[in-house]
Amino acid sequence: MTIAEKPFIRPDGKEKVTGVGRYTADMNLTGQLYAKFRYSDHPHARIVRIDTSRAKAVPGVLAVLTHEDVPDVLYGGMVQDRRLFAKEKVRWEGDVIAGIAARTAAIAEEAAALIEVEYEVLDPLPDFAANMDAGASLVHEDWETYGADDSLDRSGNTLGHSSIVKGDADSAMAGADVVVKSRFVADASQGAPIEPRAILAQWHGDRVTVWSSTQVPFAARSGVAHTLDMPESHVRVVVPLLGGGFGSKCDFHFEAHVAALAKAAKRPVKLVFSRHEEFVAPDHRREGMVIELETGANRDGTLVSRRGTLRLDKGAYCGEGGFFAQMAAMHACGPYKIQNISVDSYLNYSTNQPSSSIRAPTAPQTCWAVEQHMDQVAEAIGMDPAELRRRTLIAEGDEGPAGQIFDPIGIKETLEAALDMIGYGKELPDDEAIGVACGWWPSFGVPSGAYVKLNGDGTGTIITGAMESGTGAVMGLPLLAAEVLGMSPEDFSITYQDTDAGPWDMGSSGSQTTFNNGRAVIEAAKEVREKLLDMAADELEAHRDDLELVGGAVQVKGSPGTSVTIADLAGSGEPILGKGSGDVPEAPEVEASACVGRLGMESFLAPQLITHAARVKLDRSTGVVRVLEFAAAHDSGVIINRIGADGQVYGGVMMGIGQALSEMTMFDQDGRQRNPGLLDYKLQTVSDAPKIDIRWIEVDTPNAGPKGSKGVGEPPSVPTSGAIGNAIAKLVGRHVDRLPMTPERVWETMHTEGE
Amino acid sequence: MKYEIILTVNGVAYPVEVDAHASLLHTVRDQVGLTGSKEGCDDSECGACMMLIDGRPVNSCSYLACQADGAEIITVEGLAPGDDLTPLQSAFLAEGGVQCGFCTPGMLISATALLAANPEPTPDEIRVGLSGNLCRCTGYDGIVRAVSKVARG
Ligand code: FES
Ligand code: FES
Repeated sequence: MTIAEKPFIRPDGKEKVTGVGRYTADMNLTGQLYAKFRYSDHPHARIVRIDTSRAKAVPGVLAVLTHEDVPDVLYGGMVQDRRLFAKEKVRWEGDVIAGIAARTAAIAEEAAALIEVEYEVLDPLPDFAANMDAGASLVHEDWETYGADDSLDRSGNTLGHSSIVKGDADSAMAGADVVVKSRFVADASQGAPIEPRAILAQWHGDRVTVWSSTQVPFAARSGVAHTLDMPESHVRVVVPLLGGGFGSKCDFHFEAHVAALAKAAKRPVKLVFSRHEEFVAPDHRREGMVIELETGANRDGTLVSRRGTLRLDKGAYCGEGGFFAQMAAMHACGPYKIQNISVDSYLNYSTNQPSSSIRAPTAPQTCWAVEQHMDQVAEAIGMDPAELRRRTLIAEGDEGPAGQIFDPIGIKETLEAALDMIGYGKELPDDEAIGVACGWWPSFGVPSGAYVKLNGDGTGTIITGAMESGTGAVMGLPLLAAEVLGMSPEDFSITYQDTDAGPWDMGSSGSQTTFNNGRAVIEAAKEVREKLLDMAADELEAHRDDLELVGGAVQVKGSPGTSVTIADLAGSGEPILGKGSGDVPEAPEVEASACVGRLGMESFLAPQLITHAARVKLDRSTGVVRVLEFAAAHDSGVIINRIGADGQVYGGVMMGIGQALSEMTMFDQDGRQRNPGLLDYKLQTVSDAPKIDIRWIEVDTPNAGPKGSKGVGEPPSVPTSGAIGNAIAKLVGRHVDRLPMTPERVWETMHTEGE
Repeated sequence: MKYEIILTVNGVAYPVEVDAHASLLHTVRDQVGLTGSKEGCDDSECGACMMLIDGRPVNSCSYLACQADGAEIITVEGLAPGDDLTPLQSAFLAEGGVQCGFCTPGMLISATALLAANPEPTPDEIRVGLSGNLCRCTGYDGIVRAVSKVARG
């Protein structure tokens, strides 16, 4: 039995099923106050005057803060374009104008409503595609003065432009047997974790502890330090159990607002979002996109040219999503051999809610468009869509969009596996069809660190900066340490989610925890191992090379009689500690000199490959689509924790089905959300869940993570909607060009004449 | 105006004073001090707040504390009588029915009620029985498997 196949109960399991585990909203401190925000009254307006006097006069209010009460600091990932509290302008409906701390939440809410704000109302700019047109009004008039990453190609409302250029797409297009053009529009959607975010802050002198439901405690810490102008050593961010995130709790959000309120009120302050706020206030949702694609192909399936123009909705602020244009451009090419490419991708400001990373940002929408487009190409050359993919998917030695040469890679195997699982080609009733889609997603190599120490009784503790958002990635770390030390995973406790304890970590984002922190834990465990071998060599008077660690003891190889237990060694009182980070794997170098807006994603490190196949049923009288059966084949390298990895696929596919069929944030004409509630947003329920079959293609990938693993968490949502879209198109006779493919849109597509 | 009521939660009687409009969820979390039941929406949409009231699963966010006066209330904390987990709790863990765990208290309550009413549900009956509980992490697969496993015995 491999380590991945052993039944493994997650260490945080018991506290979760018995209800005693504490999430941030479950925590309370003596003397704690409650925070509420006053949000903007308009999606786009100049602030003329803010008067907080009536709010401050409400009995029970202990602090009211606006931009005047905090350092005048701009922040943001690749572009620093935002303040904690809006100053000159508001740029979306969730811009925070003031924060209130009061004895009760009801008092804070009453006070928030009493703040008087005088505005000069401006026209909202919700049309992110049109916002890049010449002469469009600017969301940020001062964009040129902002601090920004030099690699971003910025102008006006375009926060970042990236291109992928290979060969000569124009002349190749002219020589192709067929040319297929398509245009797709994807609506915004949400991460929608079931836990709305909560934050609790308490000061100790000039230091603050912030408990926050964040996926990225270290980013939250630097955000607080930066915006409140204090050293990072004075800020401690602790994450109690986290109730899911899916990207929406990445980035620094409201920790500094709450810390500032607690400082002003001289009391602990707690903020708990309502579900409505969880939809409307975070600067985080999946970006809407307009995707135009053109492919020239020969009758044998050769893809000779791809042109594309992508426009993405960044919303009001950059946040951590400044890389989206390039990421989307890579997905517009996909894991295919394409001889000539010219893709331009524009990330545009609007006065909508800011978008930022949600599970595989930009990929599901772009992949949905590209994969439907691929089926259109197949149709144009009269080839089965699976056969077209078979002929054009990348393999070892092939060249990627910007010149990357691929290591061994299992995308073709995922295709065959998915076709096999779904029974591609089988007879189906005439209201059912099977669709197939392929996709990819990079692994992210970033620094990460961990300590491992042994306790006197021979058990161990892993101290890590990594973040457990629910996926089980941190919970699986003991598997890795145990293997190095010949111990069992149950022997380890884990100290995590505390910035004062573990080394810096990127957090639960980019599916990177096992990939990077796993490497760090193994390194740390190896240092402990060395120490144990030294001690045991002394104790047993043996040469350390003759020793091995098995079953909680160090023994002379092949001679279990001559051994000393780890408990005996650790119990001697000598500290046994290890630390590790390991070498960060890097994405292959590429020339890519013709590409603009290069942010490092023009080549993919240890790409994760996916093929999804969906069997769907269409009710032709209503346009309602049901997914009956789903096959997911993934190359995520070697799987370390099967139950955890499978769980990511089940969850990711369901999220993908939601994005395909029902989930969308609807904006009104001014850019206000029309459906900020779970009922109207329409998450998938258990009754919508089809049978999902999973197969892992465990390709041995050079430059991968521990034991040959790649990431796991984000890919399961990537090609899902494309597979469903292709199945729908077979039943409808044409492709639905709006995402999500709601019954109305499917029905309309059925009843529209001509293509 | 405040009302004096007695909430009997997991077999223990708690005298509490509540406003007429106080929800059972907030009262149990804030006054009784049991935070296992979660608030995901406060609007009967997610099921994270589910409790058993006289054996019936209800969304406690949308149930008045006053209405529960004198009733037998079971929360997730009351499912396992001792230190051992119930078969359902163990199965949730073994089958991958728990990731972030935020939906888990409500799911367990729902599943417990389902199995009490129908000890051998079909997978479809399980799906119907749990359809008031949203989970964003697991895709429901491990949860349905866990309930089936316990039902099969
Ligand atoms: S909190 Fe009660 S149903 Fe969501
Ligand atoms: S386990 Fe996270 S919502 Fe269900």
